[in-house]
Amino acid sequence: MRSNRMGWGLLAPTIIILFIVGVLPFFYVIYVGFFNWNAFSNQLGMQWTGVNNYRRLVFDDAFLDSLGRTALFAFTSVTIELILGFLLAQTLVKSFPGRTVFRTLFTLPLVMAPIAVGATWRLLTIPGFGPIPYFLDKWFGVDYRIATYAGQAFITVILMDIWHWTPFVTLTLLAGLTAMPKEPQEQAQVDGASRWQIFRHLTIPMMMPILLTTVFIRLMDALRVVDEVFMLTSGGPGAATQFIGIHIYRVVVPKTDYGYGSAMSLLVLYFTIVLCWLLFIALTQSGKQKE
Amino acid sequence: MKTLSMRKVLRYIGLYTLWIVMVLLTILPIYWMFVVSARSRVELFDTPTVIIKSFFAPNYVKPLTNPVFQRYLINSLIIATSNAVLVVILSLLATYALSRWKLPGSDSIFFWTITQRMAPPAAFVLPLFLLFTSVFRIGNWQMFDTHIGLILLYCVFNLPFAVWLMKGIMDGVPLELDEAAFVDGANRWTVLMRIIAPLVAPGMAITFILSWIFAWNEYLFAANLTSVTARTITTGLAEFVSVTGTNWGEMAAVSMVSILPALVFLVFVQRYIVTGLTFGAVKE
Amino acid sequence: MRLTSRRLYSVLSVLMITAMLLSACTTVAPAAPAAPAAAGSEAAAPAGDNWWATAAEAAGCKDVTIRGISESTPASNYAAEVLAPEFTALSGIKVELEPTSWDQMYSKAINDMQANTGIYDFVYIEQDIIYSYLANSYLTNLTQMLADNPDLASPDFDFSKFTSFIDNFKDADGNVFGVPMEAFIKVYLYRTDLFDDPAIQEAFKAQYGYDLAPATTHQQYQDIADFFTQYGKDNGMDLWGTTVQGNTGHSSSFYEFVETIAPTFGVYNWGINEDNWKAEVSQGGEMNSDTAKEALAFWVGLLKDAPPEATASTWDEVAASFAAGRAAQGWVYGENAAWIATNPDKSKVVGNVGVALPPVAEGVMDDAKSGKGYIGYYDGGAFGMPVSSKNPKCSLLWLQYIGQESVQADWAVAGSRIVMNSTYDDPKVQEVNAKTGNYYMLMKEEGPLFRGAPPFPFHAAIRAVVEPYIWKALTGELSPSDALDQAAAAADAELVNLGYGK
Repeated sequence: MRSNRMGWGLLAPTIIILFIVGVLPFFYVIYVGFFNWNAFSNQLGMQWTGVNNYRRLVFDDAFLDSLGRTALFAFTSVTIELILGFLLAQTLVKSFPGRTVFRTLFTLPLVMAPIAVGATWRLLTIPGFGPIPYFLDKWFGVDYRIATYAGQAFITVILMDIWHWTPFVTLTLLAGLTAMPKEPQEQAQVDGASRWQIFRHLTIPMMMPILLTTVFIRLMDALRVVDEVFMLTSGGPGAATQFIGIHIYRVVVPKTDYGYGSAMSLLVLYFTIVLCWLLFIALTQSGKQKE
Repeated sequence: MKTLSMRKVLRYIGLYTLWIVMVLLTILPIYWMFVVSARSRVELFDTPTVIIKSFFAPNYVKPLTNPVFQRYLINSLIIATSNAVLVVILSLLATYALSRWKLPGSDSIFFWTITQRMAPPAAFVLPLFLLFTSVFRIGNWQMFDTHIGLILLYCVFNLPFAVWLMKGIMDGVPLELDEAAFVDGANRWTVLMRIIAPLVAPGMAITFILSWIFAWNEYLFAANLTSVTARTITTGLAEFVSVTGTNWGEMAAVSMVSILPALVFLVFVQRYIVTGLTFGAVKE
Repeated sequence: MRLTSRRLYSVLSVLMITAMLLSACTTVAPAAPAAPAAAGSEAAAPAGDNWWATAAEAAGCKDVTIRGISESTPASNYAAEVLAPEFTALSGIKVELEPTSWDQMYSKAINDMQANTGIYDFVYIEQDIIYSYLANSYLTNLTQMLADNPDLASPDFDFSKFTSFIDNFKDADGNVFGVPMEAFIKVYLYRTDLFDDPAIQEAFKAQYGYDLAPATTHQQYQDIADFFTQYGKDNGMDLWGTTVQGNTGHSSSFYEFVETIAPTFGVYNWGINEDNWKAEVSQGGEMNSDTAKEALAFWVGLLKDAPPEATASTWDEVAASFAAGRAAQGWVYGENAAWIATNPDKSKVVGNVGVALPPVAEGVMDDAKSGKGYIGYYDGGAFGMPVSSKNPKCSLLWLQYIGQESVQADWAVAGSRIVMNSTYDDPKVQEVNAKTGNYYMLMKEEGPLFRGAPPFPFHAAIRAVVEPYIWKALTGELSPSDALDQAAAAADAELVNLGYGK
């Protein structure tokens, strides 16, 4: 019993800090979600509306579209990052001259501020002085204007995300591969298993926990992306890259629709938690199976 | 013998081609930003080229000699470093507790800490603003526009990740080590500091690095919860988007400056990242 | 292994020590921006240099720090870098002015005033947002406050010295809530080097049958745009016929349409009927009228004559494109006129900039002269004081300081803004006027034809609802007609939601 107290004591600072700067605002958001509150409304102050904000959400096309768009963006980019990252990580397991140099240079985007990443890509894509539109036009005759063509904008945003986050995926997967015991693979090779068989039946299962962890972290961040996309396209053209984070920003900040925006955030948070909970269960399950 | 080395050579060619391409793709956008940062305003619309004809120093000199801007840099340093230190210490204590005691409900705590990181940030700007300005105040002092405010706030984003990472590493440290030390008459504190901490040091290093990078890079809350005294470099970046022609040159220069410290960091501690993550990820 | 972790430890401890040192340094670090020696307008206050000191002393403001927020514009930066240190030297009141981006400026000021927290002692009020602020009673009545505190009223300050732009910041009873600090008109800029080139003039006349001159009608504007786009293509130049402030993800495109394009077709006040707060034609509004649709079609049609960056251009990039010599004509905010025309470090078209009134449809000029309508946007802003300010008296002194006649001329040259009648006659302003194709005089004489945003308390909320449709029209996702039909319907729904026009 006494030692339990010490355990809680060690945990306490963490819990206290998370409570005051994490949970309190969260409760406030729940509270505001039940009100109609807009700085530009005819009625000043907060008007109680019960669950009306949530009822509105279900019929809000802009919101639903944005949710779908975010999901598409997150799944596409995370999948590509995972495949690419896995491939690159495998080439890095064995030492070769220049490996550290490559790895270090490749990790550069990881340390950049998202807002600086957005600025970088904006500089790359502005027609008139960015190199991407210039060379696409010169070499392939492609009219590349992400502020006009929705498809191009969406693809560019995905590319930016891949550029920014593949290094992270590569590093975590590399860590996993490095730590993996070598014996089973060697044994399988001796037994005459093909590369694909080893990969399929040995590497993948053993890497499962770290794969899931990586997906977990990346998905969580991709679903709430704001800074870099806002800097690059501001959610445009039209609403083509208006992901849920930007959508909520637009509702809460320029439109000052605090109540509705809060309700929206809660719903999104709920979806994210459910999604991550499923992943989390999968993660712990696969962890248990291993033991 | 000959075919084997042939294959080996081909493999090396493939490997190097792949990595040279990847590295080029990674570097070129940043290099382009550098090119833009070297251009004066009238040269912006010149044809894209990889060659820097002339270096327009005022893009760098102007912000770097500006006392306001210097303060932003210092603020970012203080906030990122203090936050990272705090996160490392807290996560060490917390994960030791989570790993060594069977605390009721600790699994939920573990998951719950992570949900903190999932919320769409925009809706939390107003609540935090209200908390920082009206609730957390003592007399004339308020948490708004202070370093401590941001340092604590970033814990919300960094601690979950840190706890998660460190938990795996901590679980990997055999319980027998603790017990052996207890037998030798050491107390909990000594065990934690003398035995556990050195063993999980790579994990602490990576926690420090990742927390530091996140705090250095955060924009939305830094922009909304500070005014003059505690503003950070990322908010300074956004100030170059102004009515009279976004000053792309200066903005690129400031971006370059903002990457530098993180870059230095990365180069120095690069190898610990892999070691650190290895401990956390697969410890079986 | 053992060695590695020990080394890591030393790295960590060094970092920790650094962190502690840095934290300790905060108190020593330059807390206030170094005040440049107040040069130039030292002769500021004829009432004697110590009037400000005496007043500050009496109001208990000495060594008090007042804080404000503003958009990072040349005029604001001048206030922060030149006027604030001068004022501090005279009065002992410290001024911290936070310059930030336009979006940030709004959200932070509104959050502060909404929550009544009192972070800011003065805020930038753009003309278009004042009605929302007044409706929410965010701002201090300056007329009243000066009358209540005669000892704080500077003898050099007088609301009647300002141009009629100050009327935007008055309530129904004529009380003033903001001290104007910048004002411009959005003018028609054209390239004199191109328009005056005899060979070009000849070619133009041969093709269109009339002389090349700054456009006065939309058809002429279109012809000139077509002509120069073709001219640029034929000669391998990076030159297009017009600018379009057509960013497809930023409010600036909404503003260009409702404030610059639509009025010149005769659609005023965003097409919202001020009597019943309705936008749809069927309800008495004009947002989706045939004229409005014609205006949008005209403007969207100009994209083919605009440089490729047009759909990524906010007000910033439009000015940058024009300054880079990539457009022959365009609608450009007046605050940019001065630097585009005079600053060779930033602009390639120095000395080649002409300024004129924007082209209008038939009848619009008469509307504007009679006061029924307007031909373009009269933009600007003021500094006002939130009621939540913790240092109202000190803030009042600062607001008067920037509202003196003596500080205006240098400010006008630095930020191409004018808020007082007397400033026009200052020799320094006259000198810049000559270089900018007569911009200042145009503003003085024709200013009344322009007008600010309509007095809508719901300004930003309705903008947020309507702008996505404008963006979709610009990308071609919706036809101009559909875009405005849907925009008007959405605007009406939101107006009801906000409690207007039940």
